[in-house]
Amino acid sequence: MEPLLSVRDLTVTFGSFTAVDGVSFDLHEGQTLAVVGESGSGKSVTALSIMRLVELGTRGKIENGEILFRQPGGEVIDLVQQREDDMRKIRGNAISMIFQEPLTSLNPVYPVGDQVAEAVMLHQGLEKAEAAERVLEMFRLVRIPEPEKRMVQYPHEMSGGMRQRVMIAMALSCDPKVLIADEPTTALDVTIQAQILGLMRDLREQTGAAVLIITHDMGVVAEVADDVVVMNRAKVVEHGPAVDIFENPAEPYTQALLASVPRLGSMQGRSEPAPFELVEYDS
Amino acid sequence: MKQIAARIAWSVGLILAVIVMCFSLVHLAPGDAALVIAGDSGAGDPELIEQIREDLGLDDPYLVQLSRYVGDVASGDFGTSYRFNEPVTSLIGDRIWPTILLVTTALLFAIVIGVLVGVFTARRPESPVSHGVTVFSLVGYSMPVFWTGYLLIIGFASNVRWFPVAGMRDVRFEGNRFEEWLDIAHHLVLPALTLGLIYLAQYSRLSRASMLEVLQSDYVRTARAKGLAERKVVYKHALRNAVIPVITIAGLQFGALLSGALLVETVFNWPGLGRLAADSVFQRDAPVLLGVLICSAVLVVVINILTDVVYRMIDPRIRVGGSS
Repeated sequence: MEPLLSVRDLTVTFGSFTAVDGVSFDLHEGQTLAVVGESGSGKSVTALSIMRLVELGTRGKIENGEILFRQPGGEVIDLVQQREDDMRKIRGNAISMIFQEPLTSLNPVYPVGDQVAEAVMLHQGLEKAEAAERVLEMFRLVRIPEPEKRMVQYPHEMSGGMRQRVMIAMALSCDPKVLIADEPTTALDVTIQAQILGLMRDLREQTGAAVLIITHDMGVVAEVADDVVVMNRAKVVEHGPAVDIFENPAEPYTQALLASVPRLGSMQGRSEPAPFELVEYDS
Repeated sequence: MKQIAARIAWSVGLILAVIVMCFSLVHLAPGDAALVIAGDSGAGDPELIEQIREDLGLDDPYLVQLSRYVGDVASGDFGTSYRFNEPVTSLIGDRIWPTILLVTTALLFAIVIGVLVGVFTARRPESPVSHGVTVFSLVGYSMPVFWTGYLLIIGFASNVRWFPVAGMRDVRFEGNRFEEWLDIAHHLVLPALTLGLIYLAQYSRLSRASMLEVLQSDYVRTARAKGLAERKVVYKHALRNAVIPVITIAGLQFGALLSGALLVETVFNWPGLGRLAADSVFQRDAPVLLGVLICSAVLVVVINILTDVVYRMIDPRIRVGGSS
């Protein structure tokens, strides 16, 4: 089956520094693909490149590669070649994104409902009242309690978990075909992390959106991913179904990444934690 | 609302402290008010001097004079000018509006143009225009206000004669109210530009720095990820956040702006409070000087309260939570 999104030999640079080097992977309809790797491995830059946000507000440049996206009509376009005007019609609409920092990703001076309604009004051409109805519907979908009250509140009046729900509502408000979630649970405490992951899994089933999740947390990968792309030093080092990656990691870096996950009971019989072994890996 | 009310109550105390301090400073200053009032012709007549002292209560103890003055000010009586023999309130009433007009125009000019320039250069931080603005800001900030004034007079009033050299109205003016306002606006251009340029330089630098920071923020990235046009991202999502430090600084600097107005009014012969204050110092007209000082303090306090109100309107974190 033809993929919904196909990243081909993507290379992104920041001046003389190569942040993403020849990365390729496919994302299919209804699939959850996790891109994992340590900080600085190029995961987030890959995600921002798909949205073509790497060239806005940062000095990143897509040097090479294709990002092929199958539009709702079936036509396949290369996002790298799209003009900025055309990309704006895709961003927040057919492809949307959730960011790592729910505490700072919402504008502090506007009510959260208005911020979600803005996307709906822009892409779906709804009037303000209709957009407000849609926002309420989305807030209920992401299980925000008392949505009527919440939509007029400002971000600082909400908890981190609640703000991330607002971000998810915003991202899903225009029925995207691809949802990119860049470390959506990193800034949240564990109980809220579990709630958000559960919510994302349910929403994927309800909306049918393909999910590209960026994370360094192998626990999150085990929870939600069908397939996994492992990145290190700007390159893909391993790619395969999540079950295979967890059971038979082929590459030493993937093995090291899995070995670095702390486990309950690992301090049994010890007075202090074992020293952390630094793993050097050359791709 | 409660916080604004508390701020007003606190401001009343502050103004009272300013009155006490100004009165004490003027009281401690060398010179005899009775001699000033008697003038050159009456200074040699000890009986006249004594009579004046008795009439004005100048021989009373300091605390008696202070409490009498505070009581008078509370009832709206700032005394009578030694020089003009007119109530100080009426002198200030005539002069305060030209000063407010000058200062407000200069401030609005500096904020509006400064923020626009700051936004423009923040969007193109490496452009020649951006570097040009940085140089202009340094020059603008370094130039003494009176010197800027004289340069503008030489350039635009003396050489090309686009604007009048000084004053607030044309002495030969005849016309209706609208034409009168146009005449005042014509006279206002150079003084307001002189006073505003130094603040324009500061606000453009401040807004540029603030905008550069805000444009890197996560919520701006979210706005872009929504598919909003760059214009909307900048003017709706970034600007409102970036303008907060400019409003804060503008409020804090209002006192300095009033001091600058004194020099500008002197250079351009603008009939405002600054010139009245300067004249009252040279003529040892204590009631007028005290009146101007207190009036300026009230203006600064009022502007600070207004800044607080605007600040709360822009930033809901302060409005709702009481603190950020």
